[in-house]
Amino acid sequence: MSEVIVGIDLGTTQSAVGVMDSGFPILLADESNSVLTPSVVWYGGNGEVEVGQRALRRAGVDRVFASVKSLMGRRYSELDELQKRAVSKEVTFSTASGEKSPEEISAEILKELKAIASRRLETKVVKAVVTVPAYFNDAQRAATKRAGELAGLEVVRIVSEPTAAALSYGLDRLKESARVAVFDLGGGTFDVSILEMREGVFEVVATAGDTHLGGDNFDEFLLRMAAKRLSVEWEGFDGLERARWHSEARRVKHELSQRDEVVFRIPFSGECVISRGDFELEMSPFLDRVEGCCRRVLLDAAMEVSELQAVVMVGGSSRIPVVKERVEAVFEKEPDLSQHPDEAIARGAAIQAGVLAGTVREVLLLDVTPLSLGIETMGGLMNVLIPRNTTIPCKAGEMFTNAADSQKSMKVRVLQGERELAADNWELGAFEVEFQTEKKGQARVGVEFRIDSDGILSVLARDIASGQDTVIDVGSAAVDVAEARVEKMVSESVEFAFEDMGARVFEEARLKAEELLPAVEVALVQLGGHLETEERQVIEKARDGVVSAIASGNGPALKAAVEELDGATETLAAMLVDLASGALFSDS
Amino acid sequence: MNDPFEILGLSRGLAISSERIDKAYREASRRLHPDSGGEEEDFQEMAEAAELLKSPSRRLRWAIESTESAWDGRGSVPTSVMDLFSPVAEVIQKVDQFALERGNSKSALGRAVLDARVPELKRELEDVLQSVSDEEADLLKAFKEFDRRGWLELAEQMGQVARGLSFLEKWQGEIRAATGKLFQALLGGL
Repeated sequence: MSEVIVGIDLGTTQSAVGVMDSGFPILLADESNSVLTPSVVWYGGNGEVEVGQRALRRAGVDRVFASVKSLMGRRYSELDELQKRAVSKEVTFSTASGEKSPEEISAEILKELKAIASRRLETKVVKAVVTVPAYFNDAQRAATKRAGELAGLEVVRIVSEPTAAALSYGLDRLKESARVAVFDLGGGTFDVSILEMREGVFEVVATAGDTHLGGDNFDEFLLRMAAKRLSVEWEGFDGLERARWHSEARRVKHELSQRDEVVFRIPFSGECVISRGDFELEMSPFLDRVEGCCRRVLLDAAMEVSELQAVVMVGGSSRIPVVKERVEAVFEKEPDLSQHPDEAIARGAAIQAGVLAGTVREVLLLDVTPLSLGIETMGGLMNVLIPRNTTIPCKAGEMFTNAADSQKSMKVRVLQGERELAADNWELGAFEVEFQTEKKGQARVGVEFRIDSDGILSVLARDIASGQDTVIDVGSAAVDVAEARVEKMVSESVEFAFEDMGARVFEEARLKAEELLPAVEVALVQLGGHLETEERQVIEKARDGVVSAIASGNGPALKAAVEELDGATETLAAMLVDLASGALFSDS
Repeated sequence: MNDPFEILGLSRGLAISSERIDKAYREASRRLHPDSGGEEEDFQEMAEAAELLKSPSRRLRWAIESTESAWDGRGSVPTSVMDLFSPVAEVIQKVDQFALERGNSKSALGRAVLDARVPELKRELEDVLQSVSDEEADLLKAFKEFDRRGWLELAEQMGQVARGLSFLEKWQGEIRAATGKLFQALLGGL
């Protein structure tokens, strides 16, 4: 028998482990017969650790650590306010067993899954395929691999989650040829990929996503909505209160997928009714971001929705009706819900594990790198060396030469992202290219950037004269740079605060007025006929108020007048939006 | 670069469908991908060869260079391609302007007035993309002729067509990027 490789879905809210069994991917259950392990860890004072359901039972009574996946491989400066409050400057959590990094906490979950697999398979499991969000960057992938090592696992491959879901979908359709979109909205991240499946070859054509969008966001706004209605200051919550409110928010979210109204109830704080309409209203900006990713992946794949045979939905948040509706609207077809939303990714990981173990021969996966890789050029621009959606493994070379006679080295910054300006992209790190002492333009060092099958970068420098290769460590020196930049930005904004406030208020209001006044004219011509006379008069009065306030030169007065006009034109704006979106999507 | 046709097990010929190339790529992946027991270097060389062949302009350019004829990226281009230049530039500029104004917009009404222009902009982008694709299809018709009469013989015409095609491919990318910008601006930016 060939060696065992398991497939692991290390999810934001729950995780699972699977393996190939007589040609089928199966998930392995723990002692209470559950195949899903909550991604929750509890630390006791004497080095005790509990994971999953056992840790979850302590939530609300004692501090537990959940949703740490979103912090893996991230720098403090990139976190949002809420995340910053939970961790130290080094992005570690303080636990009863000391400071723990997100990787260390994730490692506990992986250890648990490893134990479940070893118990069920009655053999020591040491190798695993682990999934990550497709849109995870180099640092986040590397951190996931490190978590595996800490758990005593050899991570033989990192696979993107939507790709894994596609394997699960496609395994019993190997004879068919199809182009499918996989839509994966999980607990903390969102990905959408387009794949071409033919003769058992699964080729990822394009992928897009957002690593800060998922069910956790929806819990958060439900919590805030309920706190507001109950007049409770959620900002003052301690960890345990937060946990209680969060789990109630999650319950309400789940029930809202079945019912039109659900009571949000917290003992001793009160209760309030939340309707599906309330929920969907708050969902709207998130769905816009989701739609933006879907449109981009279609453009990147250069495909029309009519060329796709199916849209496969996975991830827990796929159960939300309004999410399904939006997916159906964008892709113009009923979504395929044949895959278990919580289990498909682990099954796919098991299939890829089977491919690598040599037991699954009919499947081959060709995945891509989700983000463009480049270096900073003179003038602070990003020079792309490997464009996004290039099939991995892949490599690209760049030649560096000395710009001056005695130049000994030059600094190269490595970037990942899609923006033109270097500073707008994620900086993976920087390294020095060493030159032999030569005349200007004579020293030549070739640098090879290689992205491996895990989507992780390695860099190799070759001195052309000596033919000597050096493996370059793309160091974390960038961390300091990023911190320094953030601090500079903070101090700049403080300086701004001492500027002449009056002048700024007027200037800001004037800019807004300059946009609003002509817009009012345009809108009145287009839609004036649909307004009540009274409504029209209110708008015109507000408009005249703005005009005279500009002449007065008084900042606060202008600000108030502009705000009034803004409010008076609300209906008008909504009418225009309806008109535009109707025309936009009816013809396509 | 080594003969990309040979690497993919295809017979040399410019007039080849993208489906044929895709099929050859899948078959070669089965043999060469590291997960199927192949060598990473071989797989990468094959993937790059497939990438080259999938682009008609790069395919043509490789054919010209294979005859050891001089290739000049800055020479003349077919006038039918040049005629597309200003319509393409115009619509892309319009979208850029829209995205800029949308990004700076400060009021709901201002945004709504701008957004009312989106359907028209989208249509213009689709129309110009269609013209570019039609022109590409037109130029590709010459590939059969190049194969029949021989690459060495027709290197100069091939150069002109290759430059035209590379403009068209670049524009297709830019038009798609502009369409993406339009949606991004509309959906609250990324």
